[in-house]
Amino acid sequence: MVAYDTGPGAAAVTAESVRRTYHLAEPIHAVDGVSLSLGEGSFTAVMGPSGSGKSTLMNLVGCLDTPDEGRIEVDGRSVGELSDTERARLRGTEIGFVFQTFNLMPRLTAVENVRLPMVFHDGVDADRQERAQTLLERVGLGDRLEHEPSELSGGQRQRVALARALANEPTLVLADEPTGNLDTETEAEIMELLVELNEAGATILLVTHERAVAEYADHVVHLLDGKIEDLEHLSDARDVTAREQATEGAGNRRPTGEGEA
Amino acid sequence: MNLRESLRISWRSIRAHKLRSALTTLGVIIGIAAVITFMVLGGGFSEDIVGDIEAEQEPSMTVQTQTTPEDGFGVMLVETPIYTESDVDALEQREGVEYVAPQGSLDVVQTTADDEQLTGAVDAQATTADRFEHATFVDGEPFDGADEAVVNEQAGQAFEANLSAGDELELTFEDGETTTVTVAGVVESELGDQTPPQVFVPADEHYTTTVETPDGDEERAYPTLQIGAEGLDDVDPVQETAVDYLEDESHAAELKEDDDEIAVQTVEDAIEQFDDLVGQLTVFIGAVAGIALVVGSIGIANIMIVSVTERTREIGIMKAVGATKRDIMQLFLVESVVLGVIGAVVGVAAGLGFGYLGVWLLGWPMVYPLEWVAVAVAVGIGVGVVSGLYPAWRGARVDPIEALRHE
Repeated sequence: MVAYDTGPGAAAVTAESVRRTYHLAEPIHAVDGVSLSLGEGSFTAVMGPSGSGKSTLMNLVGCLDTPDEGRIEVDGRSVGELSDTERARLRGTEIGFVFQTFNLMPRLTAVENVRLPMVFHDGVDADRQERAQTLLERVGLGDRLEHEPSELSGGQRQRVALARALANEPTLVLADEPTGNLDTETEAEIMELLVELNEAGATILLVTHERAVAEYADHVVHLLDGKIEDLEHLSDARDVTAREQATEGAGNRRPTGEGEA
Repeated sequence: MNLRESLRISWRSIRAHKLRSALTTLGVIIGIAAVITFMVLGGGFSEDIVGDIEAEQEPSMTVQTQTTPEDGFGVMLVETPIYTESDVDALEQREGVEYVAPQGSLDVVQTTADDEQLTGAVDAQATTADRFEHATFVDGEPFDGADEAVVNEQAGQAFEANLSAGDELELTFEDGETTTVTVAGVVESELGDQTPPQVFVPADEHYTTTVETPDGDEERAYPTLQIGAEGLDDVDPVQETAVDYLEDESHAAELKEDDDEIAVQTVEDAIEQFDDLVGQLTVFIGAVAGIALVVGSIGIANIMIVSVTERTREIGIMKAVGATKRDIMQLFLVESVVLGVIGAVVGVAAGLGFGYLGVWLLGWPMVYPLEWVAVAVAVGIGVGVVSGLYPAWRGARVDPIEALRHE
């Protein structure tokens, strides 16, 4: 059963009747029977109030957590059936995280931070340094390679985090409130960058509680009490006004936002 | 994750807390420096005493009685006169034996030469001229008569006049009697500078200690014998023969105390025994110094646990970008091993430095205890691994979701 589908073609990530229960005083279903399929190259936002299960869903999709019931597949592999080590490897190769608090390694330079996922993933041994530099240049930080996070502005740090998320060419980029700690101007820059990366082929799942941020995506999943309340297809509805306004200048945005990269 | 990358990341975090890392390694540095210092001092002491003993081998051996002290370790010489004249005669008949020279102390309390009196400083020994068969004379020759004596270099230099052959020497015994001898020769000491000043006089005329033999006779007996073999090739068989005879057939075997042991040693054997003794002592002191090492490794473990707690969030980040438990373990282990190795290397350098200063002040030769340097570095790595294991394991177990929430 796939209740909600965000995009044509092969699915990058699928969730089937996923339930995650926390056993507190009484069992709480943080995620309660969610079925969702993220198409390759899609750009989906997850919205919902606090406690609606956004973070839990993200942890599940990001292979940081495993479902109590149901099944999550990333790149065709069922996350719940993997060992700890296999999940760590899957995270490293198939998931790129972008956090609200940036979460860069404080004592490593920008380029070393971007290299980090490649360092833990021994498979990609092709010139890591060169690839990290290319990625940083792609997010506009070609001149900040050797800066430590403390020497960078918030927006720059988030760009480093974005470059890091792309390091191992992941199936999915998971962005958890990526602009929550940024001012509106920087927010627009980062969101444009996400749109650009999406257009270049990256599958993106964005968690936010701001409508304006969610509207950069093609699809919006509304969560409430651990369940999917609604799935909005912004681009299918050709409801692009809000996005065009916010991203003025991002003129190369393709009109439909469908999955072909 | 390859080792170079772990080293790079670990080194960053060590450098980020320079003072803390320095203080942490200080424990290991002090421990290893102390061990190395004692090894240098022990080696220097040993070398100082043994090093200047004549390297040239002589076909002679010494028979002495040894016992193990009740408290402590090592050996003690027993001065009981148990080697009788009959034993001396019997040993002389054995194949390969060139001579057997008995030796026993005389209770001389004062030595006088040219009106210069030395009290208690010079040790008087009664022996036979054979004892000097293989000795090197600086001046003169062995004694050849009741009123002649041989002095060693130390005794010669003890007097301002610096004794040489022909000088007169007056010996005063405990009972007040005196006798005057003429120095026939000055002999080199085979045991080097550590030998006390000694004067040798003929046993026949001066030695009077007797014991009752198992056969019931009264015979002169000595606490020490020197056996000369006919050649270097005869040393081993003679040593064997002498041991067999002395242990089974001699008067000495019956006269000695049960706990005492008859030792027949060449100069080399004696050196070896001495080296063993100094070695044991050095290791003992080194072990005490090793306690500092244990304290040092506890210090590393402690700071690594703090470090894991402090870097919980970093662990979360690394896990999010694909670090496995093994990667995290490796990172923290590499960090503690680096601390241990730094401690070992600096400790070895400091230990050699202090040791050098010590032997220089004491006038001993410098000895580089290379095997202990290797041990120290191995211990440094070991300390790093042992003290890093638990913290690294804790780090590896960190839940990434919790860690990422950690401020």
